[in-house]
Amino acid sequence: MTEKGKKLDIVQVLLNYGLIIALCIIIVIVSISTENFLTVRNIINILRQVAPTGIMALGVVAVIVAGHMDLSISSTVTMSGVVCVSYVKYLQADVKGICLALLTGAGIGLLNGAIIANITSKKGRKGESFIITYGMQAAIAAAALLYTNGIYMNLQEKSLHSFFGKGYVPIIIFVLTTVILEYVMKCTPFGQSIYYIGSNEAAARMSGINVKRNTMIIFTISGFFAAVAGVVLTSRVGAASSTSGNGLELDAIAAVVVGGTALSGGKGGVMKTVLGVIVMGVLSNALRLLNIDTYPQMMIRGVIIILAVLLDVFATQFKAKGGAKA
Amino acid sequence: MSEIALEMRNITKTFPGVKALNQVCFQVKKGEVHAIVGENGAGKSTLMKVLNGVYQADSGQIFLEGKEVKIENINKAQELGISLIFQETNLIPQLSVAENFFLGKLPKTKVGLVNWKYMEEQVTSIFSQLNYKIKPKEVVVNLSAADKQMVEIARAISRNAKIIIMDEPTSSLTDVEVENLFSIINDLKKKGTTIIFISHKMEEIFTIADTVSIQRDGEMIHTAPITGLTSDQIVEWMVGRSVDTEFPARESKIGEVVLEAKKVCRKNLIYDVDFSLHKGEVLGFAGLVGAGRTELAETIFGEGKLSGGEIYLHGKKVSIKNTTQAIRHSIGMLTEERKETGLALDASVKSNIVIAKLSKLCFGKNLFINRKAEKEVADQYVKELKIKTPSINQTAYNLSGGNQQKIVIAKWLFSDADILIFDEPTRGIDVGAKHEIYNIMNDLVSKGKSIIFISSELPELMGMSDRIIVMHEGHKKGELLREEFSSEGIMKLAVS
Ligand SMILES: Nc1ncnc2c1ncn2[C@@H]1O[C@H](COP(=O)(O)OP(=O)(O)OP(=O)(O)O)[C@@H](O)[C@H]1O
Ligand SMILES: [Mg+2]
Repeated sequence: MTEKGKKLDIVQVLLNYGLIIALCIIIVIVSISTENFLTVRNIINILRQVAPTGIMALGVVAVIVAGHMDLSISSTVTMSGVVCVSYVKYLQADVKGICLALLTGAGIGLLNGAIIANITSKKGRKGESFIITYGMQAAIAAAALLYTNGIYMNLQEKSLHSFFGKGYVPIIIFVLTTVILEYVMKCTPFGQSIYYIGSNEAAARMSGINVKRNTMIIFTISGFFAAVAGVVLTSRVGAASSTSGNGLELDAIAAVVVGGTALSGGKGGVMKTVLGVIVMGVLSNALRLLNIDTYPQMMIRGVIIILAVLLDVFATQFKAKGGAKA
Repeated sequence: MSEIALEMRNITKTFPGVKALNQVCFQVKKGEVHAIVGENGAGKSTLMKVLNGVYQADSGQIFLEGKEVKIENINKAQELGISLIFQETNLIPQLSVAENFFLGKLPKTKVGLVNWKYMEEQVTSIFSQLNYKIKPKEVVVNLSAADKQMVEIARAISRNAKIIIMDEPTSSLTDVEVENLFSIINDLKKKGTTIIFISHKMEEIFTIADTVSIQRDGEMIHTAPITGLTSDQIVEWMVGRSVDTEFPARESKIGEVVLEAKKVCRKNLIYDVDFSLHKGEVLGFAGLVGAGRTELAETIFGEGKLSGGEIYLHGKKVSIKNTTQAIRHSIGMLTEERKETGLALDASVKSNIVIAKLSKLCFGKNLFINRKAEKEVADQYVKELKIKTPSINQTAYNLSGGNQQKIVIAKWLFSDADILIFDEPTRGIDVGAKHEIYNIMNDLVSKGKSIIFISSELPELMGMSDRIIVMHEGHKKGELLREEFSSEGIMKLAVS
């Protein structure tokens, strides 16, 4: 009995900290086989790289915890980027441009939220958020294309906007957004209610939680964070285009899931997501340093995502062992 | 008749932090109705799940008709002729009755397509044997609780089960439906089927059971033929002390009107209902299923749309658009469906208790949840209501049915609402704990709160209410004062 207990403990640890252990293994392997990996410069570089997707992931994790999905964030990144760059560049309106970009993001999120909250509030049709935000993604992407005419817009040098991508600034913004969201999700009644909505929306409503309003708020947060990511990304890259956000939504969502947040809602969190973002960032960086070609790189990333999800599913099942449905 | 159909020997089952079954020995004779009783969390459901292959015992043996068997999973149990009707129904809501019947082994035609015609014939023939009318094509979502129960029973019969286990089958049935169920059980018994029957309702046990087993804290305390036993004796074995089964006396002063409903309507559900609720009063609502009591309560709680009429709180007209506003007006509602709307099963005991009034736990203006206070509150209610759980961080899913119900009650006690709507609050709760809930209700009204009490159990409704309103199909049919209470009087109004 005690032996069995001990064995269970080891499995438990492996399952609970699997991701951190995996991260350590990657770090050890890569630092042995290359020289430039464990340098301050490279680490800063990794963090700068992951900041925009990281910020997007933070926004979308709130939505996922509530049991919803937001695929529109990639287009929001694009849109806020072009809004920001065009204002800053052509109208010389730095602060105004940035604010407008952020407002655009929040507005897209609010629109998502308003539609989704109203169709899901009574019937529990949560899956719909997937397709609605997909539609939004397509619509906003097209709008960004129309707005830019497909032209590549370079950043205005020496503007306030150009400062957002420099040096440590993206990292600082990532850390700040992490702290704010962690506070909101963990310390406030609002955050607590988001978890509860994710576990059982009907019970949340019958406990007096304003499900409609909170759903709108989380989508707004998601849109706003995507816009922040858009501002940072365009500044770091030095340009905005009508495709700058393409594909980033899946990177962000993958990071959330790899971190251990369940798509079914009610579980997971901000710090887990940060861990997921870092794992994905370190992995990309390591693969590049190891000179692995693009396609094998993509395959390895794909496999890691699948493994991480499996690990999480096993961990959950393991905990519920002896606890089948009743 | 005295042949042993089933024997479980020295069954032990532990969950992290809980010894759910401790060396349980259990014998059932062939063709009898064997009742199992015990407090919430005593291990009744767990024992049955071990028998049905849902859980594996840590140790112990199971014998069927004298032969030892290993039951690794539900399919194995079915092969052996054991069928469990779960405490919470186990049908797939989106599928039809017929599909649920043949789940996992749909009959095929010669060309390999699903044989719908055969399925429907089978289902129809079993229901006609049971004298029950359900359309095989009906989707399960649209069925009433009783219908669902019946589908499960019919399904068990269709699988030629030799032993049918019913875990609290009557908790969501009305009296008429219970009678119907009992006649079906008697028929099954005549055909030699063995029935294991779990219930918290003593009258039912005495009506239907031949033998009763009493479980307490994971142990099997006693097994005896029902004849010669009294209800008090059984309860005493269950809880280990004698329990008062009278309704507790109340000292409360009935004051001014706090809530008044005038000609309240809800589209197609409620028609022109008037009532008033006083401070310090328990106002009972009686009626059959479909009487509209829950729908009326929801309307007051802001969950259903008022399509006509007015609601006044403390003399002032209010318009409550959602549940958030209702709670702000100090109204709380304990819902009848604990699994759907009562709690989040994968959230912890703690977060389920505090969710309706998180603002009460906060520093500043909702800026920080005071985690220490949260823990204290949860601990306090776990202790006060004797919620059986290894920790307040346990997932609600892992608690027994009755203990989950206690969490829902704790939630509304914590909410501090002045007007509480209790919709079937004692569903699935054991005798001793029921009594505690009555005491809690008394305590609440003596503190000047008011309770709207909806219950399908007439004895408790009459025992606890100051006044009773009887409803039928969305209409108010009458109002009785305490001295006018009688089951006949209420039933007469309820069916008219
Ligand atoms: N999957 C599980 N994980 C952890 N603990 C469990 C699990 N299932 C049951 N328990 C615990 O085992 C004990 C017995 O539970 P069980 O459901 O058998 O009680 P019960 O007698 O059916 O009660 P009730 O009358 O409330 O339905 C309880 O303390 C419960 O919390
Ligand atoms: Mg039970």
